[in-house]
Amino acid sequence: MKLARMVVLCFGVALAISGGVPLLQRILADGKPSIQLNVKNAQPREVEDVTQNAILRDYTAAWQAIGTALANNTLQPLNENFSGFALDQLTQRVKDQKEHGLATRIVDRGHQVEAIFYSPDGAAIELKDTATIETQVLDGGTVIYSDQAQVRYYAVMTGAEDRWKVRVLETAPQ
Amino acid sequence: MRKLIFVVLAIAVCWFAADCARAAELRVPQDAVAGQPLSIATSGSGTVYLIGPGQVIKRSFKSGGNVEIKGEELRGAGRWIVVLRGDGHQSQAFWVKPGKPEKLNFLARPSRVPVARPNVISGVTFVFDRYQNLILGPTPVNFNLSVGGAGSSKSVTSHDGVAWINSSSAPKAGAAQFVTSVDGVEVRRVVQQVAADPCNLRMHVAGRANNMVVVETDPIRDCSGNAVPDGTIVTFIQTDKSGKSTVDARIKKGTARAELPASDNATITVAAGVVLGNELHVGGKP
Repeated sequence: MKLARMVVLCFGVALAISGGVPLLQRILADGKPSIQLNVKNAQPREVEDVTQNAILRDYTAAWQAIGTALANNTLQPLNENFSGFALDQLTQRVKDQKEHGLATRIVDRGHQVEAIFYSPDGAAIELKDTATIETQVLDGGTVIYSDQAQVRYYAVMTGAEDRWKVRVLETAPQ
Repeated sequence: MRKLIFVVLAIAVCWFAADCARAAELRVPQDAVAGQPLSIATSGSGTVYLIGPGQVIKRSFKSGGNVEIKGEELRGAGRWIVVLRGDGHQSQAFWVKPGKPEKLNFLARPSRVPVARPNVISGVTFVFDRYQNLILGPTPVNFNLSVGGAGSSKSVTSHDGVAWINSSSAPKAGAAQFVTSVDGVEVRRVVQQVAADPCNLRMHVAGRANNMVVVETDPIRDCSGNAVPDGTIVTFIQTDKSGKSTVDARIKKGTARAELPASDNATITVAAGVVLGNELHVGGKP
């Protein structure tokens, strides 16, 4: 009898840990996507360490902004991290979602990012991003579409006042 | 009993077949292109959502009708999702390719450059379609840099949407036309090519008056023979027993001129930027 109780208790503890640890990890991660940036193959200019850190910080913030904006249909996060066509495009997406009563929840499973072009004057950088993303489209509270896919993104970032902003963000088949 | 099982199985097979047939009817062309119309085959009635990178399109449809999306509605290239809600619930992801090149984003640097310098001008071209989708496939991009009709051309194939070149500045000063073009779409930038540092900077005494010595340079040119622009600073330094006198003069009409205090025995030197000119020894007050 005592052994049975112990087994049940251990099982309960294991269950709590298995559920609680991922939850705790997500809370601690603060919603920031995991991004690995490789700049070794950037051409024609080598990416400086300071720029590499800034790109990593700002590209991460951009993805965080996409997640927030598409989930809550708000524009503010986009304005801070996007410019030019990428901003126009995402702004339109949020407006359309709002109009049709939709929202998109993005569960970001991580990005493998490679800098493929860094302009000679250091004003623009192009990134190739292999992202693993779970997308859920919600109509009201109902999930009407859900998938998890590895998607190839191409992003062009340009220097703005105090940060790098995403100017082009486009998906392409791998 | 056997008959019953047969009937149940037959119903199940028919049901499955009907489901398969219905599912097959949500057909999205796999060669969709941004800016071109799209037709989606559906069955039954309901609502279709098309969720693209920068758009959401919602359409209601009735039995037997295709959902037609106009070319100007399908603007964004990339991964789209189509969700059908109604008699059945189906969804599918599909890709939209960018259209043909119609817009170029051209970064030409710097805007002002000395003549005859190797690999000092850079041109970067991003290739887009009409709806600002980056064209990731290889596209030949032409670059042409010319001053006064003479210049050079180069064709570069874009890679992941971008093409770039490095070019030397021409030996001749002037406003260089830096042009990038793809399939008749052209973007022009001006790169002002200015004379480089002066070459053979020389001065002479141009006159003496009122206890002053007037020194003047010969016409100041760079090593390619281009006149150094007016406004460039030329520094005259006179050293004598009482110390050092310095005059910064601007080039005006091709030469620079300065008045220095007359001295019994003075040495005058001239410099422009990092270039030193000749030295004059002057003596005897007028």
